[in-house]
Amino acid sequence: MILPEDAANAEIANGFLLGGVPATNYGKIQILPEAGGWSAAVDRFCNNEAAAMRKFDQRAMILLLDFDNDSGRLAHIKGRIPVDLSNRVFILGVKSEPEGLKRALNEHLEQLGSIMARDCRSPKAGIWEHELLIHNLSEINRLKAGSWDSLIFT
Amino acid sequence: MIQRLYINNFRCLENFELTFRGERSSLLIGKNGAGKSTVCSALKVLQKIARGTNRIRDLVTQNDFSRGRSDVPMRFELEVVVEEITYLYSLALEFPKDFKELRIFEESLVVNGKPIYTRNVERVRLARSGKELEANFLIDWHLVALPVVQAATNKDPIANFRNWLAKMLILRPIPSLITGDAIGETLQPNDDLSDLGGWFTGIMALSPSSYMEVDQYLKQVMPDIQDVQNRPTGGEAKSLLVRFATKQGKTEFPFSALSDGEKCYMICALVLAAHRAYGPFFCFWDEPDNHLALSEVGHFVLTLRKAFKESGQFLATSHNPEAIRRFSDENTILLDRRSHLEPTLVRRLADLDMSGSAVEALLRGELTV
Repeated sequence: MILPEDAANAEIANGFLLGGVPATNYGKIQILPEAGGWSAAVDRFCNNEAAAMRKFDQRAMILLLDFDNDSGRLAHIKGRIPVDLSNRVFILGVKSEPEGLKRALNEHLEQLGSIMARDCRSPKAGIWEHELLIHNLSEINRLKAGSWDSLIFT
Repeated sequence: MIQRLYINNFRCLENFELTFRGERSSLLIGKNGAGKSTVCSALKVLQKIARGTNRIRDLVTQNDFSRGRSDVPMRFELEVVVEEITYLYSLALEFPKDFKELRIFEESLVVNGKPIYTRNVERVRLARSGKELEANFLIDWHLVALPVVQAATNKDPIANFRNWLAKMLILRPIPSLITGDAIGETLQPNDDLSDLGGWFTGIMALSPSSYMEVDQYLKQVMPDIQDVQNRPTGGEAKSLLVRFATKQGKTEFPFSALSDGEKCYMICALVLAAHRAYGPFFCFWDEPDNHLALSEVGHFVLTLRKAFKESGQFLATSHNPEAIRRFSDENTILLDRRSHLEPTLVRRLADLDMSGSAVEALLRGELTV
């Protein structure tokens, strides 16, 4: 499951699927409707999605949020994720907001999502080393270390 | 790939221009009556011409003039790029006083800026290069010239453009009409897909390996499907049969017994297979999300978008929030019409002064050009 906080993050998620995920895997991935802000996304996860994840123990969740240049946000959100689910929940997002990355790289959001998918599979981190994305590397590596990577990409 | 579609004085489309900036897939949204299906009808007129219908009364009638305005020509212009060659086809129709049907006012095909033929009412001027001489001839003014001008070779620009246009897929499926029965085969299915069985037969005859595409997609959306058989039922007639298998046992159904949504899965599978077998082509699907379960809409739309990501072009219409969410502001085009007395206006979402979700703005009725 991918839970985007807003339409811009949903466009990145669309591009991610279009760019790097085989269409045969689309049935395994669902992009949920936009939550309406990062805190709404976290609330929705804690109040609704967490219970469903306990019911479906093969389910993983990516929260796709803006960090709004708030260096403490990741730790704050991680603190709210129930411990029993933390290995299946991944928190990703642009350091500022998607529009900032769009301006910096002069690409549409969908295309940025496609590049992110491509570089997830690349030996080099590529776009993930951009200053607005590099803080995601630990979460990306955690995704790769689990079985989720092969579930999404192969 | 379509670069530009211009339509004037056809139903609600007046001075209407739809341009594409290289997007492989795009979505038309807008309220009922905004003109989305009329775009489909206009494309259908052009497709029918390329498929050999050239009598004007079989293409449009005087009722198709915008608000009965028959004193102004009805005009269709299509600019496409196929294998790096730019084709501009233009057709203008008029309805002189005391006529019983429309006639051609102007028609032309221009390739990379050079006219292949131009026409004024009944007078056609065929431009030729090289050894062949230019030709002038007369043609019945109720007949479109494009289907009847003889191409010199298979690589003639007229033949290339006609083939591209005829190959366009325009889909407005009516599942209740889709039985899976067929006599003969086709690669040019009807827009309602009542001849889906013939289309299946045609694709498999052209490229048997494209069944892999059908099989792979159908197993993804219907995991218990075993295969699709196209059984002879006498003479040239065939009928599609769908077989299912689980640990509990096996069963089979005639295609006509599938649900409307399952028939749409098969249509999607055939679009993927056709694109592999004889693509790339342009595909217009009017409301592809119709009949689908909510959990499947996003996957369905993304599968189609992905199929056309590298070649061809996909254009859809939709009112479905989940389908709309699977496109972006750059490739979502809003059609808007303030009243039945006013023409359709067109604007990309990215060019609108809009913040937040397009779906919510649509729901609130706030999305206007």
